[in-house]
Amino acid sequence: MEKRPHALLLKFPGTNCDAETARALKAVGFSADVLPISQVSPDRLEGVDLVVLSGGFSYGDYVMAGRLAQLVSEQRLGDALKQFRDKGGYLLGICNGFQILTRMGLLPEGSLIHNDTGRFKCNWVKLKKGSQKDSPFLRGLPDEFELPIAHAEGRFVTKDASEAEALVADGFGVLTYTEDINGSFNQIAGLQDESGRVLGLMPHPERFIWSEHHYDPDWKNENGGEHGSGYYMFQSIFEEIEEKSGLKAKA
Amino acid sequence: MKAVFEIVDRYLEAGCCSALLYAPIDEDLTYRQTRRYTLDFEGDESAAADFVSKTLLDEVAQDLHQGEGGALSGYQFVIDYGMKPGALDLEKEAVVSYYEHLDGPAFQLNDLKIEQRVYVFGEGKANPDRFVSDICNRAIHTWSVIDGAN
Repeated sequence: MEKRPHALLLKFPGTNCDAETARALKAVGFSADVLPISQVSPDRLEGVDLVVLSGGFSYGDYVMAGRLAQLVSEQRLGDALKQFRDKGGYLLGICNGFQILTRMGLLPEGSLIHNDTGRFKCNWVKLKKGSQKDSPFLRGLPDEFELPIAHAEGRFVTKDASEAEALVADGFGVLTYTEDINGSFNQIAGLQDESGRVLGLMPHPERFIWSEHHYDPDWKNENGGEHGSGYYMFQSIFEEIEEKSGLKAKA
Repeated sequence: MKAVFEIVDRYLEAGCCSALLYAPIDEDLTYRQTRRYTLDFEGDESAAADFVSKTLLDEVAQDLHQGEGGALSGYQFVIDYGMKPGALDLEKEAVVSYYEHLDGPAFQLNDLKIEQRVYVFGEGKANPDRFVSDICNRAIHTWSVIDGAN
């Protein structure tokens, strides 16, 4: 059987974007499994190339979004996800997954709190790639592109505003909103870690895989193709893993 | 032994009270919301405080205040509300379940009470009853009102 990059999606009670994220991963060539957190143990990370924490409202967002998922993951996995990253594995956190990765300390220190309007926001946003550092997740995307957002707790803050500024200047803030959407410091929409193998973002790439997902029925991508921006995000990391693991050469 | 912890969001500013009510209010009043956790426990008090810090506090964006007295001052009145005893409080269940899976905690958690606290500030005199009636759900909540003048 042909070996393909494999993605594992961790599902918490309240996670609700796992099916469409798995579909998006499969569309670019990944094999993908969804695993409830109750069945997760460190040995389940064997043979996995990409761990995905997809969107939703894990544990009803009780206490604060992502906190209980962080605590339960740490109880079940200890520092296995950090070891997975250190051994060359990739991690992607989308929306609630971004909140969880941030609370787990897998991304630079910061927090995602209630939007400054105090309201849930569900609309399309324009995003800009950071210019300081490349991200393997964003390589195939133009400098500016659109994705939908849907969150109540997406305002990225740091203990001090200057820390957020430094995150963008130093290449950790790889994705910013082109306008103020939710009060995020420095309009940060996505962060990567030092290794570049961990990415968290508030927008939902899995909701823009085909051009038909776009609000404008006549929308076409830059190449006139049928795929939306989210497709190219998943394709970028697929190609990165294929290249790094030598799967592409074997194929 | 009982310990009260109040968690205040550092970055959320006071909002207009009309946002809390079904109809706009004429008086110039603002509010802030915090969360209060009352732990009934036995054992190491600092371990209980550590549990609160690690489990219930966001150190980047929130401040922790320990003690019965309110974290904020200068209010006109305060409403504390939470789930009725016996009502299913899923948040409490989730936190207690996490505690029960801890490996050898240095304190015994007997009970946890979770309350939302609403501070109302401003010059115009407002009737707390209106706030209680719009914020609290009589079917599932219990509440108390503290007058800032007392």
